Amino acid sequence: MSKSSLVCLCIGSMVLPLTAGAADPSNSARITDLHFGNALDLRGWGVALDLPAQEGMSLLHPDMLRTPSGALYPYPSAPLAMQQADNGWLYSGSFGGGYVTTFGDDDSLWFNQYADWGDDFIAQFSFNMEHPQSGRFAEIRGTHQNENNQFYRLRAGQAGRYRIEAFYRDVPHLISTTARPIWNGVGTQELTLPVGLTPGTSTVAQVTAASLAATQRTLRVDRTRAGVSIEGELSRRFTAYASLANEQRDGTRLWGGSMFFAFIPGTGGVNETVRPIDFSTTDTALGLRYVGDVWRANVSYAGSFFRNRKDRLDYESPFTLTTVLGPAVPPAGVISHGQFSLEPDNDYHNLRIELSRQLGWNGTLSLTASGATMRQNDDLLAPVTCNGIGGIFIAPGVDYTFDCADWNTPAALSQRTADARIDTQMLDLRAVFRPTSSFGWRASLRHYEEDNKTDYLAYNPLTGQYGYISENGSQGSVVPGETGIFDPGNPLYASYVVPIRNVPFEYTQTTAELGADWWLGRHSLGATYSFDRNEPEHRERTRIDEQRLMLSWLYRLRTGGTLRLSYEIADRTGDAYNHDPYHAFKSISLPGFVMPPGGLTAHTTSAMRKYDISDRRQEKMRAIMIHPVGLAATISATVYGNYNDYDAAIGRRGTWTTGGTLQWDYQPTEKITFNAYLGYDYSHLRIANVADDEGNLGPDPNLGGPVYPLANRWTEDDREDSYNAGLSLRQVFGQQVLDIGYSFVYTQGEIGYDYESLGAVAGTQQGLAGMIGNGFPSNYYRLHALDAGLSTRLGERWTARLSARYELGRFADFHYLGFADQLVYAHRVYTDAGPTRRYDAGMVALMFNYQL
Amino acid sequence: MWRAVFASLIMVPALWGMAGAAQSARDFFGSALPANPHAAEATSIGSATCVACHSVEKTQFAHTQHERAFRAGALSGAGGGSGDHTCETCHGPGSAHAANPTDASSIIRFTSGSATPVAVQNATCIGCHEAGARQHWLGSVHEARGLACSDCHNPMARTSPEGLLAKHSINEVCSTCHQDVRAKFNRRSHMPLPEGQMSCADCHNPHGTLTRPLLKTDSVNTTCYACHAEKRGPFLFEHAPARGNCLNCHDPHGSNQQTLLAMPLPMLCQQCHTMTRHPNDLQTRGGLGGFNADERLMGRSCLTCHTNVHGSNNPSGARYHK
Repeated sequence: MSKSSLVCLCIGSMVLPLTAGAADPSNSARITDLHFGNALDLRGWGVALDLPAQEGMSLLHPDMLRTPSGALYPYPSAPLAMQQADNGWLYSGSFGGGYVTTFGDDDSLWFNQYADWGDDFIAQFSFNMEHPQSGRFAEIRGTHQNENNQFYRLRAGQAGRYRIEAFYRDVPHLISTTARPIWNGVGTQELTLPVGLTPGTSTVAQVTAASLAATQRTLRVDRTRAGVSIEGELSRRFTAYASLANEQRDGTRLWGGSMFFAFIPGTGGVNETVRPIDFSTTDTALGLRYVGDVWRANVSYAGSFFRNRKDRLDYESPFTLTTVLGPAVPPAGVISHGQFSLEPDNDYHNLRIELSRQLGWNGTLSLTASGATMRQNDDLLAPVTCNGIGGIFIAPGVDYTFDCADWNTPAALSQRTADARIDTQMLDLRAVFRPTSSFGWRASLRHYEEDNKTDYLAYNPLTGQYGYISENGSQGSVVPGETGIFDPGNPLYASYVVPIRNVPFEYTQTTAELGADWWLGRHSLGATYSFDRNEPEHRERTRIDEQRLMLSWLYRLRTGGTLRLSYEIADRTGDAYNHDPYHAFKSISLPGFVMPPGGLTAHTTSAMRKYDISDRRQEKMRAIMIHPVGLAATISATVYGNYNDYDAAIGRRGTWTTGGTLQWDYQPTEKITFNAYLGYDYSHLRIANVADDEGNLGPDPNLGGPVYPLANRWTEDDREDSYNAGLSLRQVFGQQVLDIGYSFVYTQGEIGYDYESLGAVAGTQQGLAGMIGNGFPSNYYRLHALDAGLSTRLGERWTARLSARYELGRFADFHYLGFADQLVYAHRVYTDAGPTRRYDAGMVALMFNYQL
Repeated sequence: MWRAVFASLIMVPALWGMAGAAQSARDFFGSALPANPHAAEATSIGSATCVACHSVEKTQFAHTQHERAFRAGALSGAGGGSGDHTCETCHGPGSAHAANPTDASSIIRFTSGSATPVAVQNATCIGCHEAGARQHWLGSVHEARGLACSDCHNPMARTSPEGLLAKHSINEVCSTCHQDVRAKFNRRSHMPLPEGQMSCADCHNPHGTLTRPLLKTDSVNTTCYACHAEKRGPFLFEHAPARGNCLNCHDPHGSNQQTLLAMPLPMLCQQCHTMTRHPNDLQTRGGLGGFNADERLMGRSCLTCHTNVHGSNNPSGARYHK
């Protein structure tokens, strides 16, 4: 690169934001918004009557050619006739309208999850115009399924010069269609109890009555996204691009609301609430690309600005809290109001520079440097929202109460805003050489770093205490002393281990890779070795190393197809595992902490190994075959396996996934296309855990010790079988096209468990020894879906399309056992009755199109 | 960080010295014709000669973005008045093919059975489509596994809304090989690909990136945050696995559990949470609704209480209750 080019590159990157305004619109580099479509128009093309070109692709061969890997290209469509305007522009287009209606159990979650079918008018249009002499063009297309599910997209520009793009889209997502929230104000930041319920003093019967009386509603989140982008040549060497997009996300989601455990009968309260979604995200990108004879460069900036207009949720809990000491020692006050901080606003900036230089030996050297920061400084909410007195008064001198006034104000915080920030840096250097037609090698070194600068101390200047009031004040109102605070000046709170700081998780990752490839006639071989070092901060390990060897083999079949095999083996190790690296973030690290007489209770067992950083041996295998059969058919298949063995007595112990697919594609003429497929996948995951002996808590973390006795060990296995099958047929009859498709999905999950003794089992269930069994009821999801469509010509310019879909589904998830009949279980109230258990539903759509 | 910088500083000048003959950047029209290694002596014959036989190909090609660019280039005089060599810009000089059309090696071909090595085919495409999204094609997993540009693209006909794809949509192209991934999208919870709302290429750049799974950003999480910006935070209280890698808990392609979770709750949480008291108890069918109900198991399980599991910005949210 010449000095002048370098100067131009630098200046251009600075000037561009002033002149242009978006992401690399060379499409595959841009994140999101590459595909526009919806359930009515999956491919987003909106072709009303897609007739094939009768002569196929060539006069020289009536059949279609295949890709280099052996798959058949589809027959091309008959090109649309372009009209010519007086000014030299050519244009074509169509627009249409119609109606869609649904039948059966059409409110089913599975039928609507992202499709959002309903009775509605539908519309579709596309319009293309181009000016051959100048290369100018414009394309606009869109499909309206309903007001929450539609897209419109414009592309215009001049070939080889510039391109602008604008789009608008609405994307639905249904969360629940069986929600029965008891609260008023769903969708707002204030959930209040209905008439008949009193916060903090309602009975289970009253809550049950309110739940049964609650109106069933649908919870959904709708995204509306719009954006513009431009890309243009500044010169033969330089291309600039810019984009701006905004997304609005509105709706409601299932949420929580903890007032301490309810599994200790009659004590706490558990609320499944509903939270509002009112998000706005603005994404922008700017960039400059240089393509020279020797150098390639890309300088880009990406910014993302998230805003949450409803960043808290207040709710009233109906349940009456009682202490673990029984009715004789009630809570000091009524704790009935809970609060959540919802996601804070955040800003993200990323600056990236990519440089590549062509080298001898047919090589390329690339250096990429990227720096990013994500920040937020939202106002912090007060630790609690209660009023009056919380906690438990047992006797003078044994007073575990707290004054809410000392904690329900931001003045109780050590800082008023979050001042949270994480910076990331990435440096990647790679070289690839292809010195001969039969050999190449590559090497890379990548360094990635996250620096978490957030520093928060949970200290209340009003009381001089550390920590926070746990679970809205409920925990300390149920269990004496478990208020959540540490107070070096108060003997009652001087030995409590509570969190007093945030843990600024961060890590540094360095990866080196060296690989070589050989091309020997029909065979290609590849071998790659990589070494990865991850150095996390404040985790159980400070260094995790993984070595990986990857082998690949490609064989080009004499039939024109391909067989690709790959195999990987990896071994992950690291330094010593510290099962409790969090002392610096707990009250034990503060002066004045008084060691309890029996010592600190073990945080967890030292036998535990968290799976993301534990020792692991991994093997992966994959085979992909594409095999032509004659001129018109292809058989393709995939077989794969993935095995992970974790060196953990407690924690994730192993996973095993295997499966395969088989597909047959057949297109004997341009009028018939047929496809059928089968698939099966099996996965198995094993974990082990150990219940502590709550009557014998102490400092010993060892498995087999008094806290974690071997008799309390338990194991659990999750086995999942997934079956897929389907077929599709497209048949052209003259001026009619018939499409038929069928798909079948069946997944079944079985969780089995085993335990050494009843000491391993949750206390709530130990009395049910005869019913515990060795596994949960099966989970399953079964769906038959039938699609059919008939397109026909009605006249020279009019066409019609009749399409229909029918679904038959069955579903079971043990988590929701009994929820169809009852959503209140003692001191627990749930909102979601769970996804649809069985349904059959369908839709029929009729659309008429006019061709320009 | 500094070790990597240091290593880079050493490697750059070392490799710089190896710089030799470099391939020139070419524009669509008027660019140098690619050399066919099997017909080195072939000369240009012009597109008019080609379409004498390949008239149907010309008709289909006329409706592609490629043709638009070539045509505009021709009319602008970018070729220096040397005539229309549109076909040969990709297929190489055609004289040998015209002389012996049945010889498969006489012309650069991009389909199965071609005598032209895939590397030569790809270099022809990259010659114009270089840099940008394809800056890291060389050495990428797709390149190393012998994929050709024309495995995914059909530059001769418009069979997709854009991108001149080899099938009707991005997702159909990807599932030619990645059939098992396509099957995952049919599961209970999935990204909305089967419903036409997004494509594989929303997260992956098949042309090569700096990550092994061809992600478009520097990390898994940054890719996820592109749509789920609310999860980006940073939060006052982070949850280590969430901050570390979204894939610790989620399978982004599809799952048999709720919200793309990699395994059932509470098993997912109990892989790590063996802390004393309530997290490490074995939950059994006896804790389900209708028996001795236990909130640690029912509904959304652990998340009913530890709701802000992606991170909490509440001063009392160290355990994600608030």
